Amino acid sequence: MLGIHWKPVLMGALVVLSAAFLGTTLVSGADTPSPDQAPGRTMAQQATKSKALWITTDHTKIEKLQKTFSSGDEVTAACLSCHSEAAGQFHETIHWSWMASAADAPKRYGKAGDSINNFCISTNNGTDKGCFSCHPGWEGQSGAINCLVCHGQTEINWGESFEDYQAFAESDDPEELEIAAELQSSIQTAVQSVGRPTRQNCGSCHFYGGGGDGVKHGDLDSSITKPSKSLDVHMGTDGQNFTCTRCHTTVLHNVAGRIYTQPAALERKSLIEDDLTSKITCESCHSATPHKKGSKANDHTDKVACQTCHIPTMARALPTKMSWDWSKAGKLKDGKKYKEKGELGTVDYMTIKGQMRWEKNVKPEYAWWNGSIKSTTVKDVVDPTQVVAVSAPRGDAGDGMSRIYPFKVHRGRQPYDKVHKTLLAPLLSGKEGFWNHLDWDRALRKGQAALDVPYSGEFDFVDTTYVFPTTHMVAPKENVVSCGECHTGEGSRLAAISGLYMPGRDGAGVVDAFGWIMVLGALLGVCLHGLGRIFTNGNGKKET
Amino acid sequence: MLKRITLIAVTLLVTLSLSGVAVAGEDGNKRKGKYTYRKVYKACNARGEVDIAKPTLNPDAKTQAQWTSVFENKEFAEFGCQEEWSQLSDKELLDIYSYLHAHASDSPTPAKCK
Repeated sequence: MLGIHWKPVLMGALVVLSAAFLGTTLVSGADTPSPDQAPGRTMAQQATKSKALWITTDHTKIEKLQKTFSSGDEVTAACLSCHSEAAGQFHETIHWSWMASAADAPKRYGKAGDSINNFCISTNNGTDKGCFSCHPGWEGQSGAINCLVCHGQTEINWGESFEDYQAFAESDDPEELEIAAELQSSIQTAVQSVGRPTRQNCGSCHFYGGGGDGVKHGDLDSSITKPSKSLDVHMGTDGQNFTCTRCHTTVLHNVAGRIYTQPAALERKSLIEDDLTSKITCESCHSATPHKKGSKANDHTDKVACQTCHIPTMARALPTKMSWDWSKAGKLKDGKKYKEKGELGTVDYMTIKGQMRWEKNVKPEYAWWNGSIKSTTVKDVVDPTQVVAVSAPRGDAGDGMSRIYPFKVHRGRQPYDKVHKTLLAPLLSGKEGFWNHLDWDRALRKGQAALDVPYSGEFDFVDTTYVFPTTHMVAPKENVVSCGECHTGEGSRLAAISGLYMPGRDGAGVVDAFGWIMVLGALLGVCLHGLGRIFTNGNGKKET
Repeated sequence: MLKRITLIAVTLLVTLSLSGVAVAGEDGNKRKGKYTYRKVYKACNARGEVDIAKPTLNPDAKTQAQWTSVFENKEFAEFGCQEEWSQLSDKELLDIYSYLHAHASDSPTPAKCK
């Protein structure tokens, strides 16, 4: 009797439950964790649930910001009259000092120190004023802090606005006085428009590192200002729409995430382990086992960084510069400096800069990395018979700290001292710079003197590399690197990675033979067992 | 004698009028010209002809000789916003010319309209 009614009741209940479940899923929206999604995604959604940020001060109502401003220093003074500790905090940060860490002494790592790169090479101890357009001060490092570089919500050219305002305000021409009034109105609007840093604020420098859009970083360019979710799942305006500071959390104006001699994070901790940890690592929100239970991907996270699989390519919207040959600089056409554009619409040759190559949809190169970078300075001796690593990832397979990580590797050819065997730092901009007179020897003498390092007068060019860890432009899960792109003997993304055995990529005769013997042995055992059952007509159970 | 003086005067006048625009680069108010140039596009944008209230041509879009040619021949079609350009006075045109000429691509300080 029970057997007749049990099945329809159970089926009906299942149908009702399924409908209810589907309905709930549809109504809940994209941000509500789905029961069958990866736990790492659920954790991240919980950790970042609240998107509505708030402010407690309307700066348009602050009396001190309603005065006439005729210089940047006056703006800073107005900010600091309330935010009394901000300047002291900010002066201690790398954003201000451009020095990596005081703990590196006597080495002087940092833009303002002895570090060099294979783009525009050096700031020459601050002599190259062109570099300081990105320093968050009004007049380079010596002036007051321009708080609005990071906190201003209105785009304005401060230098031009103040200079023109001062010129027009002193005029007796009514039209010029009218322009002065308009300029002051724009300045006041900008001064009163204050908030948390946006992608536009951070990007005004970081997207243009190296002097142009996407020059330095392959994963940071102006396309990130308003990216789609397909370009970056975290910052996509049609997705989470994160600002930079959502992950680059800040303590005392120190923004998490700077990678130089020290790693961005000493420990990869989730917010569950430490609620005051920065959100700078993937694990902070997604945990160390983010994939579904039983997923093979969870077994990779101790050796393979999340970025390795989740950022299949960089420079997906705009091209990035991949090489820069300074030895080709100086050519003239009809006696004049010139530039040529390439297929991607980028400038591939410039008299003042040399030959450059740009690429889009760049596959990263991979290396073991413990989170810190080894840099070559103007004082370090190099071997010019080899490619010189101006910067390189630290770490190896056996140190217990490193994981396989994706990098943009920028290749350069830049001047070095043939006698001292050191890389050289020419002065580029300004009257005495190479860009003006195209005289290498003169530019090198000026640049080296500014850094107070010797120059023998004999130079040549050497091939170099410079690395950038790739961590932005995280792709949607359907576009991640597939298993077969690494676990293959031909064209593996990880072909250059040593120190571990990778199934599919590596072939050790003895290991493979032993494995096949095990497989065949197991198969043989199953067959023999089955045949034994058939011929003995028994299943091991006694008849009841 | 009178004939000779007249001839010299006419020659001087012709020479001055031909070189007037070129020399004007030194005389115009380039700082004011920058804002007059921008004002053209603000008005044009407000009228609805252009989508962006910024000039379409940056000073470094042409050489100094090219800018001189444009203003000598009053070839302003390339700028768009003809209604606003036609309302500019000679003094305003001179100021704009001075700004563009001073920051042309082959000038010591080539500039974009930031």
